[in-house]
Amino acid sequence: MEGDAVNSVRLCKTYHSKDAIEALKDVNINVSRGELFTLLGPNGAGKTTFLRIIATQLLPTGGDAMVLDHNVVSEAEEVRKHIAVVPQDVATYNNFTPWEYAYYFARLRGIRASDAKPKAEQALRAVDLWELRNRICQTLSGGEKKRAIIASVLSSDADVLMLDEPTSGLDAVARRAVWSALRELVRNGKTILLTTHMMEEAEMVSDRLAIVNKGSVVASGRPDEIKGLVKEKFRVVISGDFSQLSSYAEVAKLGDRSIVYVKTQDEAIDLLKATLKMNLRAEASPVTLEDVFVKMVGGLNNHENQ
Amino acid sequence: MRISKIVRDTLIIAWIKSYPDFRRNPLFLLLITMISSIPLFFIMIFNSGGNMIVHGLIGAMVSSVGFVGVMAGIQDISWDRYVKIREMIVAMPVHPASYALGIALAPLLVSIPSLIFFGALIAALGFMTLETLTWTILSLVITWAAMSTLGFMISTYLLKSSMMVLSNLSNLLGIGLIFIPPVYYSEAQLGGLSWLSIIIPTSNAAGLIRSHMGLLALSAENVIVRWAVLIAMTVVFIVLTSVKAKWREN
Repeated sequence: MEGDAVNSVRLCKTYHSKDAIEALKDVNINVSRGELFTLLGPNGAGKTTFLRIIATQLLPTGGDAMVLDHNVVSEAEEVRKHIAVVPQDVATYNNFTPWEYAYYFARLRGIRASDAKPKAEQALRAVDLWELRNRICQTLSGGEKKRAIIASVLSSDADVLMLDEPTSGLDAVARRAVWSALRELVRNGKTILLTTHMMEEAEMVSDRLAIVNKGSVVASGRPDEIKGLVKEKFRVVISGDFSQLSSYAEVAKLGDRSIVYVKTQDEAIDLLKATLKMNLRAEASPVTLEDVFVKMVGGLNNHENQ
Repeated sequence: MRISKIVRDTLIIAWIKSYPDFRRNPLFLLLITMISSIPLFFIMIFNSGGNMIVHGLIGAMVSSVGFVGVMAGIQDISWDRYVKIREMIVAMPVHPASYALGIALAPLLVSIPSLIFFGALIAALGFMTLETLTWTILSLVITWAAMSTLGFMISTYLLKSSMMVLSNLSNLLGIGLIFIPPVYYSEAQLGGLSWLSIIIPTSNAAGLIRSHMGLLALSAENVIVRWAVLIAMTVVFIVLTSVKAKWREN
């Protein structure tokens, strides 16, 4: 749609190696300006392929994709002026400091030296690395290195940021620092396209998200809308051997625990009462994004669907 | 993209790639000088007279730019691909030429201290005039271009090889192109096979420098042919690399 930050129409990508592998099949995604959009999917779903095409790193085999109304194939040079990318599993130059990452990558984007310095400082403060700015990356932890790379993107002043699993390998505190920085950028009008397989991350930071599986979009919308796509609205986690499991349609068995999915709050309460009578431990809550995700990508069957 | 932006980005990338060595790894600069000096020790020990030391110093200069040139082309690019910095740069408003030139320029900057050291020794021995200095710089710059693009070409054609294979290959190439052919010694010692030195950029450049310093007798036509071969090989390497190299993947 015209005016979107990112827009793909029937985007396809087939890798031709020994066998043809369809990584993307007719993917339609639109990301509005100033929103944080997440691609959520299992490993190998096609998230990175999509991101790399949008980031002008990889050519599609079909369909169209636009970034800020510029075609990613025919106007790649124009697209690159507006984007900044953190690839998956990116590593650092060990003898570089976070300051050098933030400053020189800003300079490479054409930002003048006098402007690059405050932007680098702002970016390093945003990811809580200002105090460590002059330490070489070799002496930083894995999370600090990752944040140094993220700072190099934040200092770029790009309109659309694309981050491929930016928080993988980070501890909870570092992860939240990154989330906070990303949401702050969105508040300042930036658009962010993120990929992740972490449900908590997708739910916490996304304005909207798309669930991608086997190269296709299986659902998209706000996190609450996605959760509303399944009939079962509540989950009851039961510890121990619950004899009435077979009377429920949606059950995921996790060793000695079972997750039973029910449609209404009343059903959840009835189930809790039944388990209490049997002296079993049980806990009810609304379904999570992970429950919906597992159901949509067919993972429930992997857990002895009853 | 404006030329000024391409030039500026080239310099930034060269600086990014070389500045940490200048600032934090000065031993690396010493290492380049030392590696290039190793044959000089043997020349001094087994000095058979004449101008063997000057021959060796010329070889050391060619080695300084040649060894790091081929290493940069292969190792830096494969390393950037491994750490995915290259992917980040592809998605930036940076021209591919800036990236290639910046990567190639960085080792040249790093080898400048050793070039100055060897050049000063040659001057102290009375073989460096303004004219020979000009020819020497020209030969070294073309050798650097040839060796860097050779490295680029190899890393481009061996895109899927592992870091370890590429690293070993770059070391083998460095040794094969610098220590075996007549780079440290005069090609006159090869007798009837001296023409072989023309087809290897490093020994060709060393021969040209020797010729301009009066250490090797070459006819004017021969000098022109050798310059033409050196430049032509560099152009071929550039064309072969640019045909295969892809900034964006298919």
